[in-house]
Parts: sequence; C-alpha cells; structure tokens
Amino acid sequence: MTEPLTFMMGKFPAPLQANRRYCKNHMWCQTTDGVLRFGFTTYAVRLMQDVYFLDWEINEGDTIALKQKIGHIETSKAMSDLFAPTTGTLVRFNPELLNDPSAINVDMYGNGWLFEIAGSDAETISMNDYHAFLEAGWEKTQNMLKGHM
Amino acid sequence: MARNRITVVLSQAQGKHPAKRALEESVVAALLMEPGVEVSVVPYLYDLGPDHTGRMFLESVRGDMVLLSWLFPRAAFWILDRDGIKGHWGESQLKSPHADAEDDEAKVPEPPKGIGALDVPNRHIYALDMRDFNNHEVYVEEVRRIAAECRERNEKKQKATTPAVPASLVQLGLVTHDEPPAPTRLFEPEQMLQAPAGRRWYPVIDYSRCTNCMECIDFCLFGVYGVNGEERILVENQDNCKKGCPACSRVCPEQAIIFPDYKTAAIAGAPIGAIANLKIDLSKLFGGSEKDAVSQAVLERDRELVAVGRDAVGTAVGLAKRQSHHGAKPKDDLDSLIDALDSLDI
Repeated sequence: MTEPLTFMMGKFPAPLQANRRYCKNHMWCQTTDGVLRFGFTTYAVRLMQDVYFLDWEINEGDTIALKQKIGHIETSKAMSDLFAPTTGTLVRFNPELLNDPSAINVDMYGNGWLFEIAGSDAETISMNDYHAFLEAGWEKTQNMLKGHM
Repeated sequence: MARNRITVVLSQAQGKHPAKRALEESVVAALLMEPGVEVSVVPYLYDLGPDHTGRMFLESVRGDMVLLSWLFPRAAFWILDRDGIKGHWGESQLKSPHADAEDDEAKVPEPPKGIGALDVPNRHIYALDMRDFNNHEVYVEEVRRIAAECRERNEKKQKATTPAVPASLVQLGLVTHDEPPAPTRLFEPEQMLQAPAGRRWYPVIDYSRCTNCMECIDFCLFGVYGVNGEERILVENQDNCKKGCPACSRVCPEQAIIFPDYKTAAIAGAPIGAIANLKIDLSKLFGGSEKDAVSQAVLERDRELVAVGRDAVGTAVGLAKRQSHHGAKPKDDLDSLIDALDSLDI
C-alpha cells in the first residue's frame, strides 16, 4: 500500500491521501459508485482558509468541459473562480455545502467534497505526481501570493 | 506646552453608514476627554480639495499627528504627502485583526528602494485604519500609546538639541522655530459633519516604493503624470484621471501607485507583502486563464480612450520600453511575477 505524502507549505503540513487521484487545479478525485467525486486538497484550503461563500454557476445534469468556469468561492483570505477539473456530466453537488460550506475546512477529504462528475479521470495525476507538482510550483506560488496582483 | 500635545484627526467615511458614524462618534467623544490630545474631524481625506477647510486645517498642524481614517494606513499617509502634509512614518502597534501571525515569511521587511518623500519635516504621522476594529477603546488606547511615544521622542530630541542651539544660530544666522506653534483648533466636529467633499479619483504615489522608472507616465495617455524640475515623477493633473481606472497601478513594477478607493486591497494601498488582510485572487492557481496585470491595464486604458472618443491603442503605446528591450534588459519584479504565473502550468 502506498504511504500518504505530506507537502510542507513552509511550516504548514498539507497532507495528501494515498487512496485517490489529484488534479492540477488542486482538487482530489476519487471514484465512488462509478462517478468521480472531487474536493479541495489541503493545499488549496490552506491558501484559501475559512470558506465564506460557495456559488455554483451550473446545474446538476449539465455537460461541462475541462477548465470551464463552473463557480466561485470566497474565503477569509481569497476569492477565486472555480473551474471544471475534467470533461463530463455534473451529477450532483454536495448538498451539505450548499447551506454551509464550512465542511470544506473541517473535512476536505471527506464530508467537504464538492461535486460528482460522470466522466473520465484521464486528466488526473497520481499522488506522487501531485506532490512533485506542488514542489515544483511552491516558490512561484509564494511569489504570486506576495506580489498578489 | 505644545510639544507635549498630539493632534488627532479623524477622517470620516464616505457616505453616512450608521455603524461607521457611530464608531467615529464614540472615538471622538472618548478622545475629547483625553488629556494632551487635540481632536478634530475632517471629511473623507481622499476627497478633500485644496480649498477645503478640512485640508487647510491639516496643513496647519505642525507637530506629531495621528490620522484615523477608513483607508489603508499607507494610502492615508501618502495622500497627506501628496497634499504637502508631510512627516515621518509613525509605526502603529495596531495590527489588523485579519493579519495572520503564522504568515511570518510574508512579514520580512523589505528594505525601501524607493526615491522617498521630499522635504520631510521633523515630526511623525501615524495612520490608523478605522476598518480594523469596531471598538473605540482600541483606538483610544493606541492614541495614548502614540502620545507617550511622541512625548518621549520629543523630550529626547529636546535634550539632544538644547546645547546645540547657540551653535546653529551662529551657523545659520537665523532662529529656527524650536517650539512649533500650537495648532489652533479651528473646527468643531459638528461643523465638519456639514461640509462633505465631492468624490474624487486620482492616483497617489508611495514614494517609499517609487523608483522613478517612468512606466506610469509612459503608459497613461491622459496626462495625469508629470515630472518636476528634478525629473521626479509626480501626479500633475489629477483631475484628468479617469474614474474607476487603475491601469497605471497595474503596470507599476513596484506597486507604488495607490488608488485608495479601488476594490482590490493591493491597489487600494494594503500593507506591503502582507497577504494577511487581502483577498487574493486564486483563479489562476485553480485553473483559470485570468488576464495578467498588463493585459488588464491595456484593456482598462482602451476602454477609457474609447469613452472619450479616442482610438484604442492596445499594447502599442506606453509599453515600448519593456518591449523594445525584450530579452536585453534584466527582468524586473513585475516581469518575473507574470512569468511565474504563466509558467505555473495549470
């Protein structure tokens, strides 16, 4: 069995889970009952911190394309548009988050999942590759955060 | 004694937000009872034109000053500088509650590389942000601390300068005003409340960051920027500035141009390097292909050009310096920042 990895964001540990795939937009992906379930990684949540608002711009059942804009998030530290991690059909959003998005902070790898898509996971990468991707981008990410343009 | 008093000026919020008014009133009421403190109220600092009585009052203050405003301290400080109300930066101990103590790597102070302000008199100006706390006690406490700090500094200064006074008389041949005249309290808060200023929009230069690189004067096609006799950049025709357009701020390699009323904190004058109380836009990181700052600035400029019946110029004008030296000159910070975003591979 693969050991889980932890990426160090400076002093802050961002643990990754071994039993799932990852996306370069900092979501994890897990196949559950034939659909792909997605959620934010610890890395993403650490950058955003407390989630205040989560808005989806598409509906359940819509066909979505990779990198299509699907929603918006605002947190204590950041705001961001959200983009589809893969091409497919949006099966459902996590109903729990629609009323209260705080599960994203509390349990991002579990109850804080975002949505489920029926589609291909060809765009996802392994935990090891995601860890390497974080390593490679960390300095640039820090620069971006400090420059905050 | 004048040097033992400190002037506190509260610059009101725009509009008549009841919660903001309530905080302003309780701060003023508490400070009126403070010994050694002169308190006055002026309308929103950024909107004060040269003829406004509130601005004339600010100009008349000679000694140390605390400015409470609904602006980022950097923005407030450099608006005053712009208005000729100068002093040394007084460091407030009030830290925004949104500041994150864990982000210590973001707090490494960068050595100032800007050209600095001109003709700074020997006094300190402290700017406090009224948005940080909604409890007047916090501000009153900080004003007390600052008053004590100033008193101590001035006493030290007086001790150091007292034996030197005869010498300076000989050297300079004129008597310097060792004792600044006491600021007269010209306005009652009630009067100031009735004198709102019209909204204004113009860039404010933070000279602690500005390197006089002239990118802004090249980029802005509305003649807002100019230079003085020493080829020093300044905001020459602020009323030419287009309301809502922060394009020059985006092309500034040092992020030295502040639009205090702009919606994003970085442009509105948030603290340097502090990711703390900003809303960072992570869209790029989360998979979007957002415009980089220069493209955004070009779009904003074109929109304003078209709005006044001129032709859009795209990237053809004002970016020449960067493009003609492409590859030849070392990359500046903004270039590197944009490269960093582009190469994130997302």
